[in-house]
Amino acid sequence: MSAGHPPRYAGILGLATTVLMVAAVAAVFLYAPDDKNPQMGSAWPWLQRIFYFHVSAALSAGLAYFLVFLGSLLYLIRRRNQWDRFAGVSAELGVMFSLFVLVSGPLWAKPVWGVYWRWEPRLTTMLVTFTIYVAYLMVRSYGEPGERSQRFAAVFGIVAFANVPLVHFSVHMWSAAQQLHPPGIELGPAMSHTKYLCYAAFGCLFLHLMRLRLSQERLAARQRQLLRHAGPG
Amino acid sequence: MLPGTVGHAWILLRKDLSAEWRTRERLSPMVFFVLLVLLVFNFSFELGGAALWEIGPGVLWSCFVFASLFGLQRTFVNETRNGCLDALLAAPVDRRSLYLAKMGGNVLFLLGVQVLTLPFFGLFFNLSPGPYLLPIAAIFVLGSACVASVGTLFAAMAGHSRLRELLLPLLLLPILLPALISCVAATGAVLASAAPGRAGTLWPEELTAHVAMLALFAMVFTTLALMLFDFVIEE
Repeated sequence: MSAGHPPRYAGILGLATTVLMVAAVAAVFLYAPDDKNPQMGSAWPWLQRIFYFHVSAALSAGLAYFLVFLGSLLYLIRRRNQWDRFAGVSAELGVMFSLFVLVSGPLWAKPVWGVYWRWEPRLTTMLVTFTIYVAYLMVRSYGEPGERSQRFAAVFGIVAFANVPLVHFSVHMWSAAQQLHPPGIELGPAMSHTKYLCYAAFGCLFLHLMRLRLSQERLAARQRQLLRHAGPG
Repeated sequence: MLPGTVGHAWILLRKDLSAEWRTRERLSPMVFFVLLVLLVFNFSFELGGAALWEIGPGVLWSCFVFASLFGLQRTFVNETRNGCLDALLAAPVDRRSLYLAKMGGNVLFLLGVQVLTLPFFGLFFNLSPGPYLLPIAAIFVLGSACVASVGTLFAAMAGHSRLRELLLPLLLLPILLPALISCVAATGAVLASAAPGRAGTLWPEELTAHVAMLALFAMVFTTLALMLFDFVIEE
């Protein structure tokens, strides 16, 4: 596909994201019932609604981190710039969705736990993973532009992904005593529908943002190439 | 792995060790640095007090990790002078031997720092030597291997960034956190059972999981680094 001509599905994807997101917000606030589960803070039955966005964002972040790994691996094998851009854009999305998880979690925790933050396994794992991928973005932004930085980023992308399970296990070993994060909760049919609608909305948002950033990066790379050919001045 | 690769690594390692023996460019500053960090911690937390058994292991490993950042920076510095690195890369040997040599060197440097600074920790923490030093030694060896496995790989990358020395800690610290958690927890378990007035065992039960975690970390990242080192070093 040539740079500068967005493919036909681009508009459809944007439209689908908008419609699904509006529907998801409406479902979360109007369709889904109040939650009576004491673990989710039954004193504030409306509070559990943040869960739909929180979990969707966490899943999106996990998917993004896997795509960083995939892009890094394919870059080292194929040495095509498009895989480098793919890994970089995925890391941006992963960091963004993780940030959403790390902000929406404490908003829920403050009334239920009484504090914004606890060094509890899932929270800690998310925070550590977040810092690892911020470091990945640092490798990308502070390297000398060129093939070597792309290789370094790919190597770090692979090391980072291998580290995620180790972070998970070690953090659980470290604070096994205080598992406070609500486990999978029982969802009624309406809640289930809302959850899947949110997944679909976040999935479309993911694809839409990915496509936008990829085409931006492709244009930027093309511009650099043209400037190089044009020579100085 | 071929015996040739290990043989070449051994030659490179001996070269680094004899260079270090003559200059003491890495070990002396690292040891002094640990001492300084220990002083900073002392004034921040009053280490002599009752809190020692709670925060002692954390202080110990924070000192080591900060000192290791300092030492890891120097991994490839001597090779960049006079184009030594280019010559090493042009040599018809497996490049993994370069990683093995540098990684082994870093393990030895970290162990050296730990052995040389342990008396100071004993002194300031009021610990007498005892059989608990045996499991501590095992934790030191594994912890150093963990730090060196990823540290050596990232040290080769950090030199080429615009951030230079700043990049290495940014990359290394988040990746190292699982190992650090186990180092601190394992050291804490050993010290807790060696604490005065407690007839604990030499090998507390919870130690096994943490030691296994450290061994796993070191193995995973040494293997991964051996596979990826070629991509980092290629010109």
